[in-house]
This record gives sequence, C-alpha cells and structure tokens, in this order.
Amino acid sequence: MENKLKVYRAMHDLTQEQLAEEIGVSRQTVNAIEANKYLPSLGLAFKIAKLFKTNIEKIFICEKNDEK
Amino acid sequence: MGMNNKKYRQIRVLVIFFVGVIVALSLLQDSFLLSTAGVLTGMLFLILARSKTKIRLDEREKTIREKAANLTYAIFAPTIGIGAFLLLFPAHSGLSVFAKGEWLFIESLGMVFAYLSLFLIITYAISYHFLNKKYGGGGSDGE
Repeated sequence: MENKLKVYRAMHDLTQEQLAEEIGVSRQTVNAIEANKYLPSLGLAFKIAKLFKTNIEKIFICEKNDEK
Repeated sequence: MGMNNKKYRQIRVLVIFFVGVIVALSLLQDSFLLSTAGVLTGMLFLILARSKTKIRLDEREKTIREKAANLTYAIFAPTIGIGAFLLLFPAHSGLSVFAKGEWLFIESLGMVFAYLSLFLIITYAISYHFLNKKYGGGGSDGE
C-alpha cells in the first residue's frame, strides 16, 4: 500500500501537527502513515479523505502485490 | 487551563524525579512514612495533571498496545506454565532429596506458578469470549 498523504498535506499547506489535530490522532501517527509504517483504519482513512475532499483511493493506492 | 501531551510528559518526569528523591531520602532517614507520603503526593499530582490534559490515545497506539499485550501473553504464559511443571516435577518424581521437606518451597512455588498460569489462561479465555461477542462473532449467518 502506498499513499500520497504527504502530497495532499503539502497541497493544503498543513503541518503534521495540524493534520493530526484535524483528524484526532497524534503527530507520530501521521508521520508513521506518511512513512508507510502504519496502515490507518478504514475510519481514519475516510476522515483523511473527507478532510482533503477527495476519495480514499486517491490518497491510498493499493498495489498489485497487496491484493495477494 | 488545559495542557498538551508534551507538557504532561515533562511534568511526569519532574514528578517521578521528585518522588525518587523523596524515596531515596526516606531510605536514608529510615522513614516509611516519608516515602509513603512522597509516593502518594506524586500519584495525586499526576492524577491532577492528567485530568487537566487532553491525552490523545490514537488508533496506532491502541494497535501497539494490543500487539504488546499479545506478545506479553505469548511469552509469559508458556514461561510460567513450563516453570510450574519444572518446579512441580521433582517433588513428584520420588527422588529422596525432595522427600525430606527441605525443598518444599520449590513445590509451593510450582503451585503458585501453576495457579498463575491457570488464572492467566482463564482470564484470556473469558475476555476472548466477551470480545468475540462484542465484535459480532459467534452469531448465525443464515438470515
């Protein structure tokens, strides 16, 4: 699973701390998601997508290897 | 006034340091009362600070806690189970050295370990059962 959270965060001019505050998680969690070290829950993924007014699949990209 | 996690952590370090100093002093003074008062004051202060803090427990931290609890169970349960067996086995092996009663504490320790492992397994089974029910497991799917 790949994600473009960092890109979307930059596009909206948000810091990790501000994004964390908006979606109700810690800054470390945002950092872990961006670094692909932690896969967010469906609820959190929806929250992020809603905040950036886009679809989940535009932020979180499922690779072919993930489907196996 | 509320405070953030960082401030709370700083306060916690200070309080722990303070309690450590008080306990060390009480050990030097041989005063049980001073150490009790120090620890209780520290606990009270931390509870107060925590109530003023907007502590954020997010899903990543929950996942970490779940995995840590799983790992702890996976290590602790076999350790005390095997420990209990190893401690109880010599007492029931019929060896004369264990029959004199000098090594009775080994058997008692083995019994404590055995009951502990039993308690751990039962607690796990009960909590698993309730959590399974809570998260929709065990129901019929034929409707």
